Amino acid sequence: MSLKAIALALTATTVLAGAVMGQDEKIRIGVSIPAATHGWAGGLNWHAGVAESRIEARNPNIDVIIVTADSPADQASDIEDLVSVQQIHALVVLPFESEPLTEPVRNAKNEGVFITVVDRGLPDPSIQDVYVAGNNTELGKISADYFKSRLGEGDNIVILRGIPTVIDTERFDAFMAGIEGTGITVLDDEFANWNRDDGFEVMQDFLSRFPDIDGVWAQDDDIALGVIEAVKQAGREDELFIVGGAGMKEIIKGIMDGDTLVPVDVLYPPAMIATAIDVTVANFTSNGPVQGSYILGAPLVTPDNAEQFYFPDSPF
Amino acid sequence: MSVSAHETTRPSRGFRIDLKTAGPLLALILLCVFGYLLNPLFLGEGNVTNLLTRSAFIGIIAVGATFVITAGGIDLSVGSMAAFIAGMMIIVMNWAVGSMGVSVWTVLLGVGCSLILGIGAGFINGFLTTKGKIEAFIVTLGTMGIYRSLITYFADGGTLSLASPARDIYRPIYYDSILRIPIPVWVFIIVAIIGWVLMNRTAFGRYCMAIGSNEHVARYSAIKVDRIRTLTYIIQGLCVSLATIIYVPRLGSASSATGVLWELEAIAAVIIGGTMLKGGFGRIGGTVIGALILTAIGNILNLTDIISNYLNGAVQGVIIVAAVYLQRGSFRAGRKNKPAE
Amino acid sequence: MTSAEGTPAPSILSANRVSKSFGEIPVLFSVDFDVRPGEVHAIIGENGAGKSTLIKILSGIEQPTSGSISYDGRTTVLPPNGEAEALGIVLIHQELNLAEHLTVADSIFLGREMRKFGFLDLRQMREKARSVMDTLHVRVDPEARINMLSVADKQMVEIAKAISRDARVLIMDEPTAVLSVSETQTLFEQIRRLTARGVAVIFISHKLDEIMELADRVTVLRDGQLIATVGTEALTPDSIAQMMVGRELSNLYPPKHEPDVDAPLVLSVRNLVAPGVKDISFDLRRGEILGFAGLIGSGRTAVAEAVVGLSHRVAGSVAVNGEAVNFTEVAQSVAAGLAYMTKDRKGRGLLLNVGLQPNLTLLTLKKHMRNGFLDGRSEAKALERAVRRFDIRARDASVRVGQLSGGNQQKLMLGKTMESEPDIIIMDEPTRGIDVGTKQQIYHIIAALAAEGKSIIVISSEMQEVIGLSHRVVVMREGRMAGVLEGAEIVEAEIMRYAAGIKQSGEDERLSA
Repeated sequence: MSLKAIALALTATTVLAGAVMGQDEKIRIGVSIPAATHGWAGGLNWHAGVAESRIEARNPNIDVIIVTADSPADQASDIEDLVSVQQIHALVVLPFESEPLTEPVRNAKNEGVFITVVDRGLPDPSIQDVYVAGNNTELGKISADYFKSRLGEGDNIVILRGIPTVIDTERFDAFMAGIEGTGITVLDDEFANWNRDDGFEVMQDFLSRFPDIDGVWAQDDDIALGVIEAVKQAGREDELFIVGGAGMKEIIKGIMDGDTLVPVDVLYPPAMIATAIDVTVANFTSNGPVQGSYILGAPLVTPDNAEQFYFPDSPF
Repeated sequence: MSVSAHETTRPSRGFRIDLKTAGPLLALILLCVFGYLLNPLFLGEGNVTNLLTRSAFIGIIAVGATFVITAGGIDLSVGSMAAFIAGMMIIVMNWAVGSMGVSVWTVLLGVGCSLILGIGAGFINGFLTTKGKIEAFIVTLGTMGIYRSLITYFADGGTLSLASPARDIYRPIYYDSILRIPIPVWVFIIVAIIGWVLMNRTAFGRYCMAIGSNEHVARYSAIKVDRIRTLTYIIQGLCVSLATIIYVPRLGSASSATGVLWELEAIAAVIIGGTMLKGGFGRIGGTVIGALILTAIGNILNLTDIISNYLNGAVQGVIIVAAVYLQRGSFRAGRKNKPAE
Repeated sequence: MTSAEGTPAPSILSANRVSKSFGEIPVLFSVDFDVRPGEVHAIIGENGAGKSTLIKILSGIEQPTSGSISYDGRTTVLPPNGEAEALGIVLIHQELNLAEHLTVADSIFLGREMRKFGFLDLRQMREKARSVMDTLHVRVDPEARINMLSVADKQMVEIAKAISRDARVLIMDEPTAVLSVSETQTLFEQIRRLTARGVAVIFISHKLDEIMELADRVTVLRDGQLIATVGTEALTPDSIAQMMVGRELSNLYPPKHEPDVDAPLVLSVRNLVAPGVKDISFDLRRGEILGFAGLIGSGRTAVAEAVVGLSHRVAGSVAVNGEAVNFTEVAQSVAAGLAYMTKDRKGRGLLLNVGLQPNLTLLTLKKHMRNGFLDGRSEAKALERAVRRFDIRARDASVRVGQLSGGNQQKLMLGKTMESEPDIIIMDEPTRGIDVGTKQQIYHIIAALAAEGKSIIVISSEMQEVIGLSHRVVVMREGRMAGVLEGAEIVEAEIMRYAAGIKQSGEDERLSA
């Protein structure tokens, strides 16, 4: 082949490549999150969707691609597809589980993708450019503080836990540390699987087992809703109070209306995914690069500040 | 076995104690004694009421599953079907509250919607397995996924909640009692009795057993196999619908987490009760006991803290296997006891 | 007893005075048998004559109760479970033993796969399979899946499998039963190739002409006894049939009462075409017993199933009591007074894991209903009646049917069929696998039913039975009617001639009575 032919071929390739680039120079941000299999994840999906339309409306050159997964393996494949097929520039990932997803995310990083990790941290923090998370330890601690403020020596509480995972353990350990030395007795704790029906049944059994309960830490609003029904059924609304967690709209509404059975909530908002997407977008739209950790607080929601956490359109 | 010429058949009359039902019953009694020793509150009236009410959902669904399994089928879709029906009931009732105001008719509308959906869903499962000639496992695995994602879709991934005026009218269906027995337990009792009669005292029940035992024999015996099979799935759908009708007023909500794993619990209840998974032999009484055993396990675990929470699943597994062992074991002993001739 | 003349080449495999009983029931009585290298030795006899048992003993699957087996001149005990294949004795079952989803090469090497470094050496197995197929002159791709092959090709795969195992004795149980004429010829060529290489072949067939063509010697069995072993050249099909028949009819069978000549026709079948059935026409009179004879697979059951609606009718007409009917479900034929009793009592007739009562009433549960519910008392009464009428013997009513003896199962199934009070009963192999005493009972029941005015079709592979019971006999062959026999014509040799295809009725002039 003559030199001329090679040159011609090279030119053609370059032109073609240029055309492709020119046609498609949008910044693509992949968002990989768990599917909406329970309330909180439903909120997560909703907030991600809202953030997508808001950001795309404001920045025509940004394309947000949301994919949802049913399992860690599923999510690993999703990330591979986002990188190789969609050719994303940035990945916002809320890992199903930290360990199994470390390598898939690292591979994406090695492809030059900007990485934002949400909620569940990876064991190797050097992979991520940005880390946005709720604070499970803080949630446990803030809840404990509230219990300390209302109860003291000789008071009894029961705890309904989630699913045996790191998240649950962090919350539980921080709470137990928080109430240590206060004289508050934890009568028992049982797993209620972040599920209303299980919350209802576990609480029914706690109620028949313990004649004197002064407080219930449900640490999740779905569980709390089940607990509320069980307490109402037993007619024991007046002797105890319930604290959930996350910031479900029904619970927030109740607090706004001055409910005494569930007087406060501790925030662990699914809206954190929107924050994460915003921060990631900022990396491409602002002047300087964005790096570092954004740990959201776990503020106590009280009748005074409830309104600002109320999203009536969210499914959660 | 040898048959001597002098012996002839003597048809049996009346009832005989059924060893297959005695096994699970024994397991339940042992479990109750165990529960009582761990915490005497276990047999307190309040707890027994809670336990019976709770077992009603799985129990009612399991009665339907007994027919499906006896006729040699399987229905994996019941849990998602329950979630889907619950969601649709709530949507329909909320719509009715919004457009026509609230009255008893709102609830009746929801109930009607539930019955139609349950029967329809059962018919679809039955039609696809019989006329479509697809294995029941695959058909119902498919519909299981479909109903689960439909409820997720309608709830936007979140939770559908019943509007509170309708809730106030509907609530007593779960929480009220007649003669000190909660309404859900009454429903369970009635469903179980009808199921027992259907299984043991009608041609339909006999046909279910024949089909599950040997489909060819059934066909050669002038039984309309496809029709009976489809009917078992319709009964299953109806049972799911009834369970949902008493489930919705409990929390007034439905989400994608509703009814998760109910299909496995229902099937487990059926098998613990002495029905054979491969079909041909159905025991409604056993199924009721199976449902009670399953609910009692969870209840006992909540009433005690001597077992680590992390081991709850292991305890459940051991008890389920032990209960089935008791049932099969007593069955074998029953055969051995007969003198060899 | 005769034995073949000529040069007494030493036999490779022989049975010496072997007897076999299953439990109390003797099925083989002191039988001698031998086969020489390069010889085709046919075994022939009626169903139940003991052929299958003999070849099972010869291949080690069953052990003789008494007597011995010699292989290669040494008395030996053959290993069970087909392990005798390793010694060079290969049995090809009638229902071929091939895994449908494997390839031809996989099948040939099944159980002794070639390996390389611990992994399957697929290439070598493929090539070896191809070379074996080549020696057979068979054009089958070693990579084809078994379920894509014709029955004839599957048989070739079995033979290739046997050759690749260096079979010295090849035993074939009715290999031609499912083959067409040309496929049969190909098979015979293969067999001749094998015998030319010194392989001994034992061959079971019902088709007398085939045996005349292929076999060097023929052994005739009857009722478990060795009747004769004769060189084929000294035989004619007729003389073989005569040897197979042998015995006189005893009082095993009740006397026949001919139906009235002008008795009304209760069942008329015209030009019936259905799966396995090609253009069948016959009539059945009130009070008549019509026998259906023929080889296994000749389409007799298919006729019955097409008539009662168990299989789909493609063409033709059926009339019951003069009215045209088209049953699509068994329920309809039962309602019209036409009942079919299957030959497969364990797989199609009875629920083995339940008691007698549910089995008896399964066909007719509607009769035992009161206000929509089952009436257990009425069912129990029905069982009591059936037990008395059909002499069903069981330890007690709760015993599961699977534990009953074959004879009692058969009588229960007869009871179940009769519960529907049919006017026409089609009995398929009514005495298969049951002892002589019970057979006789069933024969008398059948005769009594006919005397009451019921009309009965008896399908049977036991020719004696057809002859002993029937007023007329339809002989079927390959889905067609080969002939219809009446009165004095109903003799075994004649039936055999039609069934084996030696004789063919010119036209159906006698078919309608």
